[in-house]
Amino acid sequence: MKKDTTTNSTTSIFIRFATASAAALAMAASLVGCATNETQDTQPPSTTISSASGQTSAAALSGTLNAGGASSQTAAQEAWRADFQNANPQVTVNYDPTGSGTGVTNFINGGYALAGTDTAIASDAAKGPFAACAPTSGLVEVPAYISPIAIGFNLPDIASLKLDPASLAGIFTGAITTWDDPAITAQNPGVTLPSTKITAVHRGDKSGTTANFTDYLAQTGPAAWTFGSVEMWPQSLQGESADKTQGVREVLASTVGAIGYLDASQATAMGIASIKVGSSYVAPSAAGAAATVGASQQESGRGSSDIVIKLDRTSTDPSTYPLVLISYLVACEQYSDTAQGQLVKAYLDYVVSAQGQQAAASNAGSAPTTGDTTLDAKIRAAIASVH
Amino acid sequence: MSTITQVSLRRRLTSSTAVVLMGIAVAAALVPLISLLWTVISRGVRRFDLAFVTQSMRGIVGAGGGASHAIAGSLLITGAATLMCVPLGVLAAVYMTEYGRGLPVRVITFLVDVMTGIPSIVVGLFAYAVASLFFGPGIRSGLVASGALVLLMLPVVIRSSEEMLRMVPLDLREASYALGAPRWRTIASVVLPTALPGITSGALLGVARIVGETAPLLLVAGFTDSMNGNLLDGRMATLPVFIYSQWQNQGADASAYSNRAWTAALVLVLFVLALNIAAKAAIRLTQRHKGQS
Repeated sequence: MKKDTTTNSTTSIFIRFATASAAALAMAASLVGCATNETQDTQPPSTTISSASGQTSAAALSGTLNAGGASSQTAAQEAWRADFQNANPQVTVNYDPTGSGTGVTNFINGGYALAGTDTAIASDAAKGPFAACAPTSGLVEVPAYISPIAIGFNLPDIASLKLDPASLAGIFTGAITTWDDPAITAQNPGVTLPSTKITAVHRGDKSGTTANFTDYLAQTGPAAWTFGSVEMWPQSLQGESADKTQGVREVLASTVGAIGYLDASQATAMGIASIKVGSSYVAPSAAGAAATVGASQQESGRGSSDIVIKLDRTSTDPSTYPLVLISYLVACEQYSDTAQGQLVKAYLDYVVSAQGQQAAASNAGSAPTTGDTTLDAKIRAAIASVH
Repeated sequence: MSTITQVSLRRRLTSSTAVVLMGIAVAAALVPLISLLWTVISRGVRRFDLAFVTQSMRGIVGAGGGASHAIAGSLLITGAATLMCVPLGVLAAVYMTEYGRGLPVRVITFLVDVMTGIPSIVVGLFAYAVASLFFGPGIRSGLVASGALVLLMLPVVIRSSEEMLRMVPLDLREASYALGAPRWRTIASVVLPTALPGITSGALLGVARIVGETAPLLLVAGFTDSMNGNLLDGRMATLPVFIYSQWQNQGADASAYSNRAWTAALVLVLFVLALNIAAKAAIRLTQRHKGQS
């Protein structure tokens, strides 16, 4: 009798364990492959991609495109991937916002077929070789995401402030320590500034936003800013350090008296500074960013498909907003895997199309590259060479 | 008894001070736990709906979408890790308790203890480095992630199984030998079934240990918006990485992203809670079992 009980309970444990495992596995199996929002391949695509190069319906495309790099492109990439995947149900595009440096390294060693970067690949590295490309392939590098960088701040009841490059440099180097400093009040007549201590927030990680902000200070306020144009915030400077754009945003939201620089698309629910251009003050806008890019020259000494813009931030034209970030997409001219090449080409075609740039503009507040017709034509010609 | 009623004032004071201090200590330990649970639940319920468990993030911009792909990925990856780890861990424990003698067992015990302390990021880097030797840089695969998790789970399973096997009374083994059963038969039919509930509970706690791991999964499973049911090919989303990516890469409508992250955290907490309850239930089975015999 005793033995029977033991055997029974042992068997029942076995059965319970087996039932539980079977149930768990069945649950996992039933979940896999049936996300209700994912269209299966039988369904026709809701939209087809029409592009300048006359690409026919891209519904035949399939495969996976792994891309990664600049985190500034995250919101834009999200919109692009969603639209592109909806149009091509059998395609999966992934974008890892790992930062520009990692993105380019992974592109060179073949980890990514496409990389996003805020700082153009150095001329000597642009010669290759790249692991995912065919041995003789050149490099295609195009501006895909042009976005203003905002100076955001947290002061109760103050929505906007006027700041010139010299006072910005003073704030971020620690020379100006309170909000009622004469350098700030003189530019903002009629605004009652508190004596709150200024907390200058900068990016703790290596960042394209930092590179563009410091480049702006270096180009416009050389006397006050002696640190040049750097991706990594100078260590000798005081101030609050935050990780990624998200970190800067969190510090700005939680600290009264904080000021920081971040992609304009992320600068919501905070005060935004207008910066001095010529004799007037300009707030960040997509149009102003586009005007700055339009007034700048293309960097010389690069291949015809390697389109890099040397931003001129010293313009005195009040229609320009000089604190601009250009994020590039880097691809092979010729992929060793032709199917991958077609996929990258189709994706890039979509990204730089009017539709793609508009999607980025509405989700990330960027300035469409299509606004500048000469630049647009060059970008399309460069992408046409991808195969 | 009556002699103790006359307790000196000093002793009573010491006693009540100690009680108060212990009460404060308990409260101090409970406050963070309750606050954490409250935060996760109150923020997690906002998106705790059907869409969250039936939809993936494919083609979703801004609000909406769900984590079905991450839930499926977590189940598949931890499931595969458990399938690989439990037999290996139990067999190692059987060797250590039933066969091994002296130095080898001490060496294994030491190595298992060392393994317990390896940071998960190191395991992730190790798995990535090994996998990229064979499959090239940028490798992302659910199975490699399972492999990394096996390394983290193995010490937990070995140690708990070992404890459980040692708790099996020697009398049972002797009775089995007396009936003429060979050693393997004794282990398979007497020792393992007796220790099974304890082993199950240890395995479940091991799963609870790895289901929330982020670092190795971030490195080798990667992240994707789409459902991927194939462990062998391509990126696979998991709940911890989903939380990280939703929190880190917020779009213009930030609350949609943070709400998804909180809900995924709630799902993860519920999952761990269920595993712990299952482990407790398994232990209870052992105790009832003992009471009967």
